[in-house]
Amino acid sequence: MKLWIFVVRRLLLVIPVVIGVMTITFILLWALPPQQEFVVINGSPRGGLTMPCADNASQTCNIPAYQKFLDQYRANPPYQWAKYVYNSLTLNLGNTDKNSQASISYGLAGQSIAVTTVLSWYLPYTLELAAFSLLIILLVSIPLGNLSAVNRNRPVDQAARIVSFSGIAIPGFLLATLLLYGVVDASGGLTKVCNGNSFAYLNWVGSWPDPHCFAGGALPSWIGPNQQTYPTGFPTVDALYNGSFYFAAESVKRMVLPALIIAYGSIGVLLRFVRSSMLEVMNQDFIRTARAKGVSERVVIARHAGRNSLTVTITILGLTFAGFIGGFAVIETVFQLHGIGLLLTRSIIQPFDYGLIFGTTLVFTYIVVAANLIVDVLYSFLDPRVRLG
Amino acid sequence: MSASPAPAAKPTGRRPNPTIAQWRRTFYFLRRNKLAMIGLGILVLLVFVAIASLFYTSQPSDYLQPYQGTFTGNGFNATPSPGIITICTYASTAPVPGPNCYPVNTLFPGVIPPTFSVSPWTLGRLPLGSLSLTPGNNQFFNLFEGLVKAAPWDLGISAVVAVSGASIGLFLGALAGYLGGVMDDIVMRVVDVFLTIPSLLLLIVILAVTGSIPSLASFDARLGILFFAFIITDWPGYARQVRGLALVTREQKYVEAAKASGAKTGHILRKHIIPNTMFPVLVGIAFDIASTPLALGALVFLGFKTIFPTQYFPEWGSIAAFGAQSVGTFIQYCEVAASADCVFPWWQVLLPGMAVFLLAISVNFLSDGMRDALDPRLRR
Repeated sequence: MKLWIFVVRRLLLVIPVVIGVMTITFILLWALPPQQEFVVINGSPRGGLTMPCADNASQTCNIPAYQKFLDQYRANPPYQWAKYVYNSLTLNLGNTDKNSQASISYGLAGQSIAVTTVLSWYLPYTLELAAFSLLIILLVSIPLGNLSAVNRNRPVDQAARIVSFSGIAIPGFLLATLLLYGVVDASGGLTKVCNGNSFAYLNWVGSWPDPHCFAGGALPSWIGPNQQTYPTGFPTVDALYNGSFYFAAESVKRMVLPALIIAYGSIGVLLRFVRSSMLEVMNQDFIRTARAKGVSERVVIARHAGRNSLTVTITILGLTFAGFIGGFAVIETVFQLHGIGLLLTRSIIQPFDYGLIFGTTLVFTYIVVAANLIVDVLYSFLDPRVRLG
Repeated sequence: MSASPAPAAKPTGRRPNPTIAQWRRTFYFLRRNKLAMIGLGILVLLVFVAIASLFYTSQPSDYLQPYQGTFTGNGFNATPSPGIITICTYASTAPVPGPNCYPVNTLFPGVIPPTFSVSPWTLGRLPLGSLSLTPGNNQFFNLFEGLVKAAPWDLGISAVVAVSGASIGLFLGALAGYLGGVMDDIVMRVVDVFLTIPSLLLLIVILAVTGSIPSLASFDARLGILFFAFIITDWPGYARQVRGLALVTREQKYVEAAKASGAKTGHILRKHIIPNTMFPVLVGIAFDIASTPLALGALVFLGFKTIFPTQYFPEWGSIAAFGAQSVGTFIQYCEVAASADCVFPWWQVLLPGMAVFLLAISVNFLSDGMRDALDPRLRR
């Protein structure tokens, strides 16, 4: 099979998955009681309907208009499902709740704006953080996994095992808080106070420096009021594009700790798989052949066996990507980074912002679908047996 | 076959039960694995603590004690606005909101150092509460007692969730892999969909939606929803793994022989397919037991403090999450003043974190050892 045929076939497989995810969110939206009607508008199954109850919180307004409303919104589910799927695919995810904590956090309290707009402010940061932590994961887990397989049951292997198990067993929020405290304490800035807050703390937390606390005064014009940047939206890229090395360095520095903590959890899972697959490969005949014909041990491990662990790493990354990206909510909250994880956290402060909750879920799901697609294509590129066999 | 020179042992009368004999053999190999034995030891200890805590009846006031009044030492102050707490960094008499008072929209994180000198039972108090916080009435409990009381909840919830998720996944995965065809297509498409949604997000969405339905507000209903949500997010992983192995097992000669001798589908599934797909399920159960308290803690940390509005049960992950919030608030609001009363609340994070860590590490070690002991190819 040619590569492009494989890609097209894989793309077609995405459609039922995406529609299935939307069906699940549709069912959950359907389960929402009708007093939440004001919250989710366009993207909801009851799009376009306005509840006639004057008192939003009241569940006992038994007026005919309310009954009619109920009948209307429960009418014709297949049509409403189709409309919901269409709206979601065209990224019409409804509006935010004007009373929610989230709308206060992005400075538009009392205004209801499109969920897609809000997501577009927060999404690039998450993508950049994900790329950064993926880089760390790959750079650590492949060499360490190979090393522990080659030195089986030696100290290196035991150390790798400790890293792996503790990565699985330590809660991310705990590690993040303690590490943050440790760094703040170690950088010795606890006595430095700026605008009522500890300065060293602010050096490591948040997407950008506090405008009052850095020498330059106000933030540059290419950083918007909601920390979104122009023109691409990716913070470090934009900082370099606008020629500010200071802000690029700030952005990277503030991503180091979160990316390390996110990577630590994934490395724990990955290491075990890389190690076991490497052990399996080392017993294969072609390794013995390579050694017999006099290839140096370093080349045998790096070229003959190591390539195999790369494909395993990519497969497992694809399988665990949903968990990996789900962990962003916690880490972005601890470090106050302006990604969609933080947005999700703010949207589940009561009163819930259902538009944002469902919008964020869909966007996270799209990311996972795209990542799985990339993984499969990469895998078929690295291991031609997948598409040929 | 070489003839054994030793005389055959005298038959003892009863034939040994082959199942028991096999478990004995498994345990023999397990005993040689040091890490697995450490894991087993820790797990037995935790189970013992959990069972013992059921017989230990503390006074409700010891365990879940409403705190009356405001702090004076380091100046914590509750405002009359529900859900929002004002923390003042030093002077409790400072105007609210004043230059040193910040409104905090999270749970009130108490910063009370542990008092080792009194007794281990007063090892710091951890604040509990809900969003329907009434001013001056924060709930506290003794941290050590809370951790002990949390053991049966944690072990119980994790075990129930992991075992039921694994059973569903095992059954559906084996069925899909063995039968193939339409059944395989349906199950695997559903699995694909569930594996695409990040599990933490699915948990959040399910809890957020059901939290707004008035008829599901009772404690039992909430607990049921929590189980449901965890099982829903757990089973697809098992189903995918089991299905892959079932596809391989289906082609084996012994399955073919069983089919030829007229065995029914149920019999083949029970006797051949499912036993041969148990290894990844075992590892998966250990992983889920380890990750359930972590996920619960993450949910509480992200703001689901009202999963159980009418009644609260202690849970290690949640206690750790409360502790992490204490640390966060400490960093933000306490460091500036550098007051002598401000003590870094390490015990609120470290003790529940250790409990979660011990559970996770013990089940992981044990499952690793079990896999090696059960799989003849991995024995050495």
